[in-house]
Formats: sequence, structure tokens, C-alpha cells
Amino acid sequence: MKKIFKYITLSFFGISVISCSDETLLDLSPINNISLSDSYSSASLIESSVNGMYNAAAIGQYNSTNPNAGRGYIWGAAFVQQGDNRGEDVVNTATFYQLTYTATYDPTTANNVYYWIDGYRLINRANLVIEGVTTAAEAGIITQAVADDYIGQAKFLRAITHFELLNFFARPYNFSAGASHPGVPYREVGIDTQAEIDSEIVLGRNTVAEVYEKVLQDLDDAESLITNTSLTKASANAAIAFKTRVYLHMRDWDGVIAEGNKLTGEYTLEDSPNGPFNDSYGNSESIFSLTQAATMNPGVNAALASQYNRRRLVAISPIIWRDPSWLADDLRREDNSTETEVGTGMVFTAGGAKFTLKYKDGVNYTDASPVIRYAEVLLNMAEAQARRAAADLGASLSLLNQVRNRSLADPATQAYVAGDFANAGELVGAILKERRIEFLMEGRRWSDIHRLQGDDLQPINGIPQKVANGTPAAELYTLGTPYDGPYGVPAVPYADFKFVWPIPQVEINANPTLADQQNPGW
Amino acid sequence: MRTKTKVLLALLMAFVVHLSSAQEKMISGTVTDGSGLPLPGVNVVIKGTTQGTQTDFDGNYNLQAEVGQTLVFTYLGQKETQATVGAQNIINIQMEEDAQALEEVVVVGYGVQKRKEITGAIASVSGGDIQGLVTPSFESQLAGRAAGVQITTNNGILGEAPRIRIRGLGSISSGTYPLVVVDGVPIITGDIGGYASTNALNSINPNDIESFEILKDGAATAIYGSRAANGVILITTKKGKKGSTQVSYNVVTGFASPIKTFDLLNTAQFLETANEKRTNRGQAPWAIGNDYDTDWQSAVLNSNALQMDHNLSVNGGTDRTKYFMSLGFTDQDGVAVSNNMKRHSIRTNLEHDVFDWLTVGGNLAITRTELNGLNTGGNSLSGNIFNATRQLPNIPIYDPSNPTGFNLSADGSVVGQWDNTDPVGDNISNIGYVLVNNKFQSISNNTLASAFGEVKLLEGLTYRFQASANNTITNGFLYYSPIHGDGRGSNGRLQNNNQDYLRWNTQNIINYNTSIADAHNIGVTAVMEFQKDKFKSFFGTGTDLLDEFYNKNLVTGAYGTQTSGGSVTENGISSYVGRLSYNFKQRYFLQGSIRRDGISKLSEATRWNNFTGYSAGWNIANEEFFSGLNPAISLFKLRGSYSEVGNTDIGDYPYLGLTSASQYGTLNGIAFTQFGNDLLIWETSKKTDYGVDLGFMSDKLTISFDYYKNDIDGLILDVPVPQSLGVPDSRIKKNIGNMVNEGLEFAVNYTPFNTANFSWNVSANLTLDKNKITNLPEGQDIIGGTSTNTNIAPNLIIREGESINSIYGHRYWGVNPANGNPVYYKADGSLVQGNLDTQTYFVFNPSNPGDLSEASSLSAADDKFILGNSLPTYYGSVINRFTYKGFDFSFMFRYSGGNEVFNATRRDLVTQNFNNNSTEILGRWQSASNPGDGITPRLYASSNTFTNLTGHATTRFLEKGDFISLDNITLGYKLPSLVTDKLNVDMVRFFIQGQNLLTITDYKGLNPEMESSGVDINGTPRSKVLSIGLNVNL
Repeated sequence: MKKIFKYITLSFFGISVISCSDETLLDLSPINNISLSDSYSSASLIESSVNGMYNAAAIGQYNSTNPNAGRGYIWGAAFVQQGDNRGEDVVNTATFYQLTYTATYDPTTANNVYYWIDGYRLINRANLVIEGVTTAAEAGIITQAVADDYIGQAKFLRAITHFELLNFFARPYNFSAGASHPGVPYREVGIDTQAEIDSEIVLGRNTVAEVYEKVLQDLDDAESLITNTSLTKASANAAIAFKTRVYLHMRDWDGVIAEGNKLTGEYTLEDSPNGPFNDSYGNSESIFSLTQAATMNPGVNAALASQYNRRRLVAISPIIWRDPSWLADDLRREDNSTETEVGTGMVFTAGGAKFTLKYKDGVNYTDASPVIRYAEVLLNMAEAQARRAAADLGASLSLLNQVRNRSLADPATQAYVAGDFANAGELVGAILKERRIEFLMEGRRWSDIHRLQGDDLQPINGIPQKVANGTPAAELYTLGTPYDGPYGVPAVPYADFKFVWPIPQVEINANPTLADQQNPGW
Repeated sequence: MRTKTKVLLALLMAFVVHLSSAQEKMISGTVTDGSGLPLPGVNVVIKGTTQGTQTDFDGNYNLQAEVGQTLVFTYLGQKETQATVGAQNIINIQMEEDAQALEEVVVVGYGVQKRKEITGAIASVSGGDIQGLVTPSFESQLAGRAAGVQITTNNGILGEAPRIRIRGLGSISSGTYPLVVVDGVPIITGDIGGYASTNALNSINPNDIESFEILKDGAATAIYGSRAANGVILITTKKGKKGSTQVSYNVVTGFASPIKTFDLLNTAQFLETANEKRTNRGQAPWAIGNDYDTDWQSAVLNSNALQMDHNLSVNGGTDRTKYFMSLGFTDQDGVAVSNNMKRHSIRTNLEHDVFDWLTVGGNLAITRTELNGLNTGGNSLSGNIFNATRQLPNIPIYDPSNPTGFNLSADGSVVGQWDNTDPVGDNISNIGYVLVNNKFQSISNNTLASAFGEVKLLEGLTYRFQASANNTITNGFLYYSPIHGDGRGSNGRLQNNNQDYLRWNTQNIINYNTSIADAHNIGVTAVMEFQKDKFKSFFGTGTDLLDEFYNKNLVTGAYGTQTSGGSVTENGISSYVGRLSYNFKQRYFLQGSIRRDGISKLSEATRWNNFTGYSAGWNIANEEFFSGLNPAISLFKLRGSYSEVGNTDIGDYPYLGLTSASQYGTLNGIAFTQFGNDLLIWETSKKTDYGVDLGFMSDKLTISFDYYKNDIDGLILDVPVPQSLGVPDSRIKKNIGNMVNEGLEFAVNYTPFNTANFSWNVSANLTLDKNKITNLPEGQDIIGGTSTNTNIAPNLIIREGESINSIYGHRYWGVNPANGNPVYYKADGSLVQGNLDTQTYFVFNPSNPGDLSEASSLSAADDKFILGNSLPTYYGSVINRFTYKGFDFSFMFRYSGGNEVFNATRRDLVTQNFNNNSTEILGRWQSASNPGDGITPRLYASSNTFTNLTGHATTRFLEKGDFISLDNITLGYKLPSLVTDKLNVDMVRFFIQGQNLLTITDYKGLNPEMESSGVDINGTPRSKVLSIGLNVNL
């Protein structure tokens, strides 16, 4: 009897042992993640992979361990913030962008480091899309037409991102004859295997000329391949518009005009300068912007409406605010906010300082991030018309006025006329000033400072001096005289090594090829 | 059944008594132990009969017996004693200790072993040693209790897990936390979710713990194979004991206060320095008004936080059944305002012998922990310490004219600036408002259930089956007010989440012990173990709130923007284990174990691995030739061990190339987020240990000495890939690094006096520990160390030949006496000064300090040095215990040092922004004739990043971490039995106690232990606690 019990008990335990097999315990696969090898296995996953590429553009990762908790590096917010803060037309009020603003960055400071890292993160996603889509089309998962559209979009993002990095990490196009000085590595292989790492790691910095050539080639391909026409994804027109920017930097004035002309009739300026911002997704002027949704945006630490509006981390500088070319009654100064209520204008005042109101949604941060709009194409063309060998100052002036007049209180009396400018240089000066006013707080200032070094007509030497870091006092904004100090941030001469950002130390440490190709002085 | 037996027995006895009454007489006496102390509960039985009694609390007994009969006295741990009844009526007995029976048993992996047969390095701590200490969880009480075990509580936040290191830091990128096993069940550890920090080990009521065994070396840990790399902590909970029911009640009530607060400027000092920052820069003053002198630290710190702990337990047992049950209630307020914890716990242990060959039993522990937390971010605008130390002293916290009652700016975005010309620097909020309104909560329910059946198959051979489940379910709630603080930007925030962690574990254990010819002692253990973990979570968030009315839970429709999310991960482990131990007459010991583990975390090709451990010992004192020395030297054992164990804390699918859901706006997307390496295998820790145990004068003095070496091979490192390749995180996991922890441990225990009225015991331990990185991929430095915290990482480096997480930065020379500029060393030893006016560097020539003609630089890449070692190189403690009659008195000093701490908090406190400063800034350079302390440069408004090099470590803020602290001191008094007898209770003890009362250190911050990876960054002060308590046994 006792023994029977014993054996029953034992066999009961025994069953519980056998019922657990190693396979069911150990053969587990991820529930949260689709494996990389499956990510181009259906039409809908391919579409999702393409969206994942835009995710990198709109959100980035910054220093987070969460792949979707970035700070808008590179196209979601950072290119606006970094582009503005490298220039003199804004004042950094807190610590946030101080290192960029005061040019006290080094190869380890986050702003420049993550510009590089998130830029190349996006580029690799674009390259993986190109390869994944190509393979899927060959396998018949999607049609070649659909594949081409995706490939074009990926090439567009690859091109503009390399171009953006070039403007921060390399000297401008005209720095050396034939732009033979170092640019940035142009990556064209999607890297997801050790073998690809090994083969790509040996490629060093392309020359600036090479990068320009590849950027233009990619943009040409994008123009011909893309069928998408929506604003928040790359379109053929976006590629064309971007080419006007690239040719402008290359000083290929005819190229600017040829590309710009292709867009005539495709876009029109909004009646109000506030138009592109009041309806950032549905206006007639924006050419390429990135979507920011309430549930997916660069967050309180980076979204444009958070940083520039709600948290007021960057003010408009008295330098540009008091510039006499910016008329006192210009609509771009419209300020109907009160101390407690944010208004509907383009500027608001807090603590006496002036802040932009281009980014409206300070609660949900849903404003699109503007990358390029038609006003820029027009001003690019205006400048090219004035600078080209066969300068057409009339056409140039007309293009300038097209942009400027809509902001004037009384265009009939205030509009520029030919007699206002003695020569092409003066006209170009007015166009450049207009760019600073029109694109204030849209991140365009650095690009202009960069390309105008040693310019023949309107040269800039290095980074101009700036108003001291901190919230400027109210009286500094009193209109009537141009701002002439005090300054708190000294100028950085063009010759200074700080003019360009250093390649991040982490890259230098991990990349034996680039280790010898750091920008001089760093 | 039981009642029947009792009745039967009583009848039988009555019968016997009746029959023999004629020749009996009453015998009485007192039974004492070897030292003369009365022994209560000694069984006194007349040999050959069932007649008998037990001694009372004072050791007295009375018994009817006949002349010529023999009385047998038995008591656990004492040698059986007999006495024949003669003419006398009083028989007093002094019993002798039975060394054999008393032989201490130590819990080891999957079983127990006799202390004297242990060949591994195991430290035991009795639950009684730490009883009554007031801490949120038990592990912080273990600090200082054992050599080689380092436990650091680096802030005063209730719910945050103390750091545990057993013989150093065990990995670079994988887990460094030990395996914790409760009554044979590996339990869930770490933070278990919600929005307040919630340490899983909070859910164990410290009062329920009978003992801890800390397995340190390879021999002891090898049986846990793949999970043993960081050591193992075995916890044994209290069980029922055979005998009458015992009820005990313990209560402790204490008051906690910050160990220290910051020495900040008062309004007068602040006005002077703040405006000097500006005038030095040629700007108008910004600080105006001296109506207030506000102590903002009082807004975030409690100086009198009430902490209470009640515990009631019942235990007892019969021949066949043993039971234990306890109820616990803890209510603690933290030293941080808004931080508190309530814990309700219940635990039952039950064991029953069904047959003489079958025992079944089970444990059930259920705990509910409610934690309220707060934002403690070291760099968060509403982080309690970050914020409070930056607030201006000349503005008030409260403003009755503001609708909220707090001093806020007109638009509610920042704290109100009052009469000052500028808003406070860094855009900080009014922390007073934030702490009252914002909520961070975690409510955890933790269930640990296990059941076992044990079958005695043959003499010495048992089979045990054990099944257990550990389930923690945590509900979190977060609320940010839309009016002010972190929620203002999103117009308020509501968040609920749920995290459910389930681990089941089954073990089949066969144990065989036999002794051949009383000489060869053999023990065999075989184990089959399966474990699976599943972690599920989801959350819902609402922002853009309808109204601040909605601040208690997500309420449908009460917010404009809603998001949700969730995740599931799971992993399994399958193990087959064998252990063989042998000793010859307790002189020569050999032990070997092998464990074969398979884990789901690795690819099919690499997931199985074998882990082996070997050890040997020689107890020379047991040799016959040594017997002459035995009276003086009672123990003399040599030990040695070697093992290879692993680390499974490597993430769930580290070998796979994966994508993650990555939306673009509202469009669904996926993207490459994990680079796969299917060659990935385990990290292996090769552990070597050599030890000597010595006992003198019947173990009145014992000394242990260990040398250990832990060679960690094939470290899974995130090998950096050039960022310009765009690979996710720019890292690939590879088994490529190598690191060594090496050290010496000493432990001494001495009892110079042990008499009825007075005893004194002193124990001390010392550990010398050294960490060295021996191999990194291509010798490349890992800048940022093991930290992912952006405030900590920039100050760390992992470099070949150096200690892990060394502090890395610039070397500071001091202040240029001519102009107040900070001066640093370049790599070549030359000096550069950071010219504050231009924020650029110039060569500094000490003989011509004012010269600013030659531009230079301070390179973040080239001009940095290893500044110090962040790991202590020595640590230990001295514990004294005294008893005198009813009094007991004990105290523990703990010490540690040899490490450097980068005091980033101190750097923050000399900010150049419009914020308050510590009094350190009073030592600033003011002029060539008034150069200050030579360390603090000239003030220069808004030049923080340049003046203080906020992105980098510098020797200016580097300090030694050496300290001695009086961790706890307790004075207790037991009521004499005269009183307790009248009260009809067994024992009543009162005590008063102090924790962390004194720290002796040169460290300038709050406390040198308030560091993470060697960096002190705006932590909440640790607490010191004064408490009184009462223990009652019924």
C-alpha cells in the first residue's frame, strides 16, 4: 500500500517534468519586433519601411536609447534650431543651444555630434530602402513603378541630408579651386551586415565637388522617378526646388534659374506671410515639409513649437529686429499676443523680448517642420538673376518684390523700385536681407553665412558677433536705429577652425579612415 | 486524530501515575547550559517511561519519580545528560554543548551543507543582525555585513534600488545585479514599473528573513551556472519550529531627516555675487530686492519624516506540521517631499509530513506596495534638487495674489522673478507648486507562491519537486498639472500603466548523502530546472487636459490627445545540474559541479553551454597529528576553487537583426533598430578563490582570509561602429572584451567575553578590490563608460589597463591670479587659460599671467586625462555588540575609499547663470589683489559651459570618496523575567536606534556614496533615522 502511494506520487512528479520540453521553452521569437529579414516581404511592409525612413528624418534618435524618442535631428526640428543658432539673427536665452550659439562646441558636444549621427542614420535607412525595394520589385512583390517612386524618395532624402551635413562639417564650395577640399563621406550602400561595414569603413571623405555631383545626381534621379505629390513626402517638385538651393551654393546661377523656372505655376505664394504657418499642411507655398503628429513629434525638448514658442528658448535678435530694411509696419512683425494669451500673429513678446510665432501649436507640437518653400525658390532665383553673367536686375527685382510685397503695409509706397539699388551688389544685399527677414527662425541663416564667405558682392567674414546669451532686455528691441551693441558673443573669423563643426570624436575613435581626416584645428 | 492521541496519552499517563503513586517522590531542579545560563524547554523524561516534563522559562522543573529511576535530559544542541534518582530531592543539571549537533548548517544552491564542509566562499548574515533597522528594503541593511559585498544607497528616495556589488563590478554592458533566490526560488529583481521608482525587493518584509547567504566565489555559485556571474544572494525566510505556538510583535517608529543639506547663499551674499556676474560682463545687475531670504531646500526636503514598521508573526509546530505566518505593515515618509511608501505584507510557510517518507509544503507571500515618487532628474527643470538649489533666495515660494497661491510668472511658465530684472536662469519651475500638484505613483502587488513535495526514497536519498510562480503587477499613475511645471507645455498630462511580470520555475532535485565506514562522506545532487519569464506592459496617456480637475486617473474623453502603447517580452531557461561532494573524515574535501544551461536569448547554434566548478579543502585541525593543538586552534582550513559561470542578463534577442515600429506622423512605419550578430555567445566569468579559515580557543576567535580573482572573458560589448555608417545605435554586440576583478577579503570575529551578565562580540571585515580592463576591441576607448545617463556618461571612460568607468576629463591648474581666468593643462603639460571675455583659449605663462597674445585651445579629444578611479579599492566595517544583564548595545562603523568622485553637483552649484550658488562661490577671484581661493574663477554671467566646462569632467570638482560612517547604533533593554512573568509574556525589549548619524569624510558634497558610476549629480540626500522600537514575544 505504502509503496503504491510512493509510486503514484513519483509518477505524478515525473509527468510534470516531461511535460516541459526544451524546445517550447527556448524557441522564442520576438513579439515586439518584425525581423529585419522580413521587412520588405510584402507591399504593406515595404510601405511601412519607407515611412520608417521618414521617421528617421522627422524624429531621429539623439542620445536616447529609445529609437523613437529623438529630438528632431535632422529634418524634424534640429536643422532649424542649429541653423538659426549658428547665426546672429536669434538670441539663445537658456543653456539649450548655448554651445552652438556661442561657438563653444567641440567634437563631443551633443548638438554637432547628433547632427552627424542622426544624419547618417537617416542616410542608411534611405540606402536600405533603395536596396530592399529594388529586391522586392525583382521578386515581384511590388511593381517597378511603385518601386521607382520609393527609390526616388529615398534618393531625395539621401541627397539633401548629405548636402546639409556638408554645410556644417565642411568649408563652402568656393573654399578651394574645383571644390577639391574634403567634404563628407557619401554613403550609397545600405549597411546591415558585417561585410558591408568592412567595405564601407574604408571610404573616407569625398571632396566637396564629389558630394555636390552626387547630390545633384540623386536629385535628378528623384525628379525623374518620384510620382508622389504630397507635401510631407518627397515629390519631384521638391527635388527641383532643392536643386535651386544646391546650385545657389555652387554659385551655378544659371542652374538655379533653370530649375526654378520648372516650378513656375506649380506653387503660388500665400497672400499673407503667415499663410504657410497658419496652415502648415495645406497651403499653396510649402514644397517639402515633414509631418509632426500630436503622437509622434520631436517632443518637449525639441519640437519647434515647444522650443521657440512654448518654452521660448530662442528669441529673435535685436540685430535683425532693428534692421532698417525690416519696416516697422511689416506684417511679419504682427504681434497680437498678450502677456497671458498667445495670439495669432507672427511674433509675440515675453519679458520684453521678441519671439517667433511661426510655430503655432505649443500644446501638441503638430506644426509641420518646413524644409523648403516657394518663397525660397523665388529668392534663390532673384539672387541668381542679379549675379549671373548676363545679370537681369529687372527680373531679379521683380522676384524679390514678389516675396516682399505681400508683407508690406502699403506695397504701393514701400515696394522696392529699380532706383533703390545702384548696382547688382546692392540688389543682392537687399535680397540677402530679405532672406534673413522672410526665413527668420526657419533655420536658413547658417546656410547663407556659410556660402557667402569670401563672396564677390556681399562677403561675410566668418560668423558675425552676436547679442549675449540670455533673454535680451526690452529696450534692446526699440525700433528706430540699427542695433550696434552691446554684443556678448564675439565673431568667429572665417579662418578660425571653429567656423566648421568638428567630425564627432566618437566617429574619429571608431573609424580609422576618418581618424586622419578631422577638420584642421580640432 | 491529534486530539485523540492526546486524550489517549493523558489516560495512559494517569493510569501509570495511579499505579505507581506509592513509591514516588517529587524531584525538582534547575537545568543550565555550559555557561550557567538557565535552559528553558529542556525535556526531562524518566528513562523507559513516557513520564516527563519540560523546564520552565527559568530552567526549573518538577517531576514525580522513584528512587532508582533515571532522568534523561535532552535539549537541541546539548549533549544528552542522565541522572539517577537517589536520596536527594533536588537534581540540578549543567548540560554540555554538543558540538556535533550544533554544527551550523549553511544554505547552498539546491540544498544545505554543514558549515565545516563548505569549500566555497559563502558569507552568512543572520536576519536577527539587521532586525529593527528602518529602510525601505532589506538589502541596504546588508551594507558592511560581509566581506566582498558592497551595497550602496546613493540617494534618499524610497523605492530606488540600492546598488549591490559582490566582489566588484561584473560586466560592462550586461547586467551587474546578483541573482536573488528566496527559499530556493529565483525571484524577480530590479525596477518593476510604475512612475515612482519601485524596487522589486521592496516587497520582501525584512522581518520575515531568517538568514542570508551570499555566494561569492565560483565554487558556491557554479551551481547557478549561467546566472551566477554577479554572485547569488540566498534568502531563507522564517519557518515554523516544533513546539508551542510563539507570537511575536515588533514595532519601530522613526524619524528621518536629510543626512546633510547644501550650503547655499543667503540673499545678501546672492545679491552681491549674482550682480558681480553681470557687472564683470559689462551688463546691468539682474538681482534686485531683499524682501525675502527663502530656504528653497525646505520646499523639497522633509526634516522630520515619520517612518513606521509593524510586524506580527505566529509560528509553531507539532511532530508532523510546522507553520509560520506573519503580517507586516510599513508606512514611511521619505526625506524628499512627496515621496512615501506603504507596504502591506503577508507570508505563510507550511510544512507537513504526510507519511514518514513524504513531506509536502508551501510558501505564499503576498505584498502590496504603494509608492509615491517625484521627478528627481539630475538635469530636469522640475527635478527636486536640481530645481531647489537653483532657486533665487530673494524671491518667495508663495504668492497669495497668484490664483495658485504660488509665486509664478504671469504666464505660469516659470517661477515668478519678483523684483529681479530677469527671470530665474534655466527656466525652472516653482518646485513648491510642482511637488504639491504633480503625481508619480506605483502600486505593486507581488505574489510569490511555491509548493513542494519531498520523497525519501532510501536512507539518505531524497527526491524533491518544487514549483513556484512569482508575479508582480504594477499599476502606475502619473499626473502633470497643466498650470505649471513639466505638464504646462502639453497642457497637462495623465498617464496610467500596467506592468505584469510573471516568472514560473520548476525544479526536480535529487539529493543523496551517505557515509561509508564513518570516513568517506559523499553527497550527490542532481537538478533539472526550467524557468520562463514573461513581461507584459501597456500604457495610456492623455495630454491637453480638459481641466486640472482630472488628476486621479485617465478618464475617457477628458483630454485632447491620447496615446497608448505596450510591449511583450519573454525568455526561457532550461538547466541540468549535477554536484558531487566528498570528504574524508572532514579533513579532505572535494567538490565538483556541472550545469548545462540553454537560454532562449541566443541563437539555436549557441544557446547551450556548460558551466563547471571545482573546489577542494583541507581542514588541518581535524588531522590526528594536530589534535595536540586543538584546544588552541580549533579550525584550520585551506580552501581553493575555480569555476566558469555566465551572465544571462543580455537582453531578450540580442542576436537578431530587428526592426521596430517607427511611425512617421500618424503613418505606420518600421525601421532597422537592432543589428544582429548570430555568433553571439555567453559572457564567461572565470572565478578563482583561495581561502583560509582559522578558529582559535573553541572558535572564540575566528579569522577568514580569501584571495579572489574573477576573470570575465568574452564580455558582450557594444562594439562601436563608425556613426557615419548609420547602423542602429552605432553599435554591434560582440563577445570581445576582457576584464578582471581581483581582491583580498579579511573577516575576523572575536568574542572576548561571554558570560551570563556581560558579553562582547566584535566582528570586522576588510575587502581590497581592484578592477582592470584587460582587453577592448582594437584597444579602443569606450567614452561614456557603462552609463546611459547623459549627465554621467561624458565624465567616464573605459580604457584598456584602467579600472572600468574611470573618470576622464581635463586637469585644472587653478585661477589665473592676474585676470581670474580658469587655467588648464594641455596633454603636453603646458598651460592654457580660458579667457572669459572672449570664451577662447590662450597660452598661459605663469611668469606673465596677464599675457593674452598667443591663441591656443583645449581639445576635448586630446587634452583629457584619466582623472581617477570610480570604484572603491577598499571597504569594510567594524561591528561591536555588547550585552550587560538586560541591556544590549551594538554599533557598526563602515568604511570605504580609494575611489574618486566627480562632484557634478558642486559644479552646478557654482553656475554662472541667474541662479543661486553654494557658498563655495564666495571664494571667487575678484581682483589681482583679491584673488580668492585660487580655484573659483572670476564671475562672468551666462558663461557656464565655458567657465565651469559643464560638458566635461575637470579636476576642479574631483574629490576623494573616502569615508568612515557610523551606519547604525542601537541600545536595547529587555525587561527582567520578574516583570515578564507577571505580564505573562516571554520577552519584552525596548530599543532606540540611530542610522547614518555620523560620516567622517573630506568630501565636500552631501555624502561620498551619493554617486552613480563615480558621478555625484543632484541626488536627493540620503536619510539619517532616529527610531524607537519594541519587541514582544508571547
